[in-house]
Amino acid sequence: MATVMQPRRDDDEVRRPNIPSAGNRLPAIRDYEQVDRDVMATLQPSLGWFLSLGTAVLCLIIGALAWTYQIHEGLGAAGYQPPVMWGVYIVTFVFWVGIGHAGTLISAILYLFRAGFRTTIYRASEAMTVFAVMTAGLFPILHLGRPWKFFWLIPYPNWRLIWPNPKSPLVWDVFAILTYLTVSATFFYVGLIPDIAVLRDKETNPIRKQIFAQMALGWRNSDREWRHFTRAYLFLAAFATPLVLSVHSVVSFDFAMALTPGWHATIFPPYFVAGAIFSGIGMVFTILIPLRKVFKLEHIITINDLDAAAKLCLFTSMVVGLAYLTEFQVAWMSGNKMEQEYFWNRVFGQWAWAAWTMLICNMVLPLSLFSQKLRRNTKWLFVFSIFVNIGMWFERFVIVIPSLSHEFEPWQWGGYHPTWVDYAILLGSFGWFFMWFLLFIRQLPVMAIAEVKEIVPPKMRGLHDPAERVHNLDTLTLDPINTAGDD
Amino acid sequence: MQGVIGAFAELDSTVHAIEDLRKQNFTDITVYSPTPRHELEEAVNAPKSPVRRFTLIGGLLGLSFGYWIPIWISDYWPIVVGGKPVASWVPYTIIGFELSVLIGSLATVFGMFAVSRLPRLTLTVGYDARFSHGDFGVWVPTGPDRAAQATELLRKHGAVEVRNER
Repeated sequence: MATVMQPRRDDDEVRRPNIPSAGNRLPAIRDYEQVDRDVMATLQPSLGWFLSLGTAVLCLIIGALAWTYQIHEGLGAAGYQPPVMWGVYIVTFVFWVGIGHAGTLISAILYLFRAGFRTTIYRASEAMTVFAVMTAGLFPILHLGRPWKFFWLIPYPNWRLIWPNPKSPLVWDVFAILTYLTVSATFFYVGLIPDIAVLRDKETNPIRKQIFAQMALGWRNSDREWRHFTRAYLFLAAFATPLVLSVHSVVSFDFAMALTPGWHATIFPPYFVAGAIFSGIGMVFTILIPLRKVFKLEHIITINDLDAAAKLCLFTSMVVGLAYLTEFQVAWMSGNKMEQEYFWNRVFGQWAWAAWTMLICNMVLPLSLFSQKLRRNTKWLFVFSIFVNIGMWFERFVIVIPSLSHEFEPWQWGGYHPTWVDYAILLGSFGWFFMWFLLFIRQLPVMAIAEVKEIVPPKMRGLHDPAERVHNLDTLTLDPINTAGDD
Repeated sequence: MQGVIGAFAELDSTVHAIEDLRKQNFTDITVYSPTPRHELEEAVNAPKSPVRRFTLIGGLLGLSFGYWIPIWISDYWPIVVGGKPVASWVPYTIIGFELSVLIGSLATVFGMFAVSRLPRLTLTVGYDARFSHGDFGVWVPTGPDRAAQATELLRKHGAVEVRNER
């Protein structure tokens, strides 16, 4: 929904739509009404949805019970023991923040870059971002000995007359994560307003209609509203773009600002950002491929969209792989014995199993995406995405645990054994995330109805043949690859 | 408010109707469309959105506040370490940047709501639910003296329905 203007061609009465998604093609969609029908069909409840929601809530309850136990027993229940005082919670925190990056990347950065394939997948990715950051935000609190004091991190006038230290990376985290959550949620909601207006106008149940009416804020699809909306959306995207890059950079400072071997490296910000985008796209596949299948949305979320996202995944995996190798090279050339010892221990010592899991999942398996056949095979993409999720969780494990367990002197070295509480809370975080996501797909459109309509040729008076209409608008070139290869 | 609303199924008819109405000196035309279309934006020839001013002011306010808060905290509760500056602009740039994005984004949304006159408690005269689905609408505010002329123009360009509203 951009408003970037192109020179007008005088010979064209009605021009090619001047929008970022103009390169996208949806030959199976005939008109605007079909977009409404097909997208809103996803709002119907099904047995599978109830079973999935029940499973997610059960996982959440298990996590909540484990946390209650931990509050009662103290943080020792979580398997912390010197020297490893950051464990699964910090690993999982970084994991979920990373997952939260793909949504804004797809909705904001790809919007500014005019990447057409984002149109059909960005809404679900944005929802994923908001819920992933909500999940991530829980972990620093879970990691606190007295979680009810978490608000002490926020600078506000208080009777204690003390303030947080603004030079601490943990305080930067508070600003970065809260800003990211607020801006992502705002971006998500603003994009939803026109679609909620569609739901309001279609809804027959008076209570739901009233709720949608409140949420749509009286949106009417007028030219004035669209004009301001498209401009605001562009500026929000422009703000969200550097924000995405900054947030995981700030998270990486939690590590890079320490002198610990394996952490104190200037490579961390770009390394973390690339990893976050890679893991986020992995989760997008994990969510979108079943969604597309269950709701029969193959004609909207086309195989071309998945193919393009897979290319992005391949690219970011190569950046991540390069960062892994650079870390080893930096340690080797540093002449620093502790650094060299640490990296040797990482791949051939006590944590070799975790490091090799990471390397295989994040460096070796993504190479399969060089094959167009595999990029267009949704079954492989789904299986691959599970490996990416596992690999990226282990990447954070490999960053956090081996460094702490293998610091400068041998007397400082130790081990780490997560307990059932760690695993239960990890499971609970997946329950929390999927509970919100499942509630979202049942209540609100998983695709941006208004934006999908932008790439559907509108009805034209003189042209009743849709093919002729399309030709005249210059929006559709029937590319043979467009329909080929979808399984 | 009094006027005429025309519903169109086709984009080109809508564009032609708007252009013709403007030629006949009908002003303050409102166009409804299920999705933003540049053809309609050009036909209406509306001025640039002022949302950008809200963005700029919000961003600058956020940036100032984001630097001021840590500098004030450092001054109020100094942590003196090894001769390093009590207030250091390098780490505070992170907070300055984050708050400029936060307040700039919120100001953008506030600005969009303010200039679009949202939230709105009731939908305005002439709005029809089909304008959010597939049809285009043209609302022409006019008195009874020119209502017949507007109706005829809308019909001439292929409006599927034309209604007088008040």
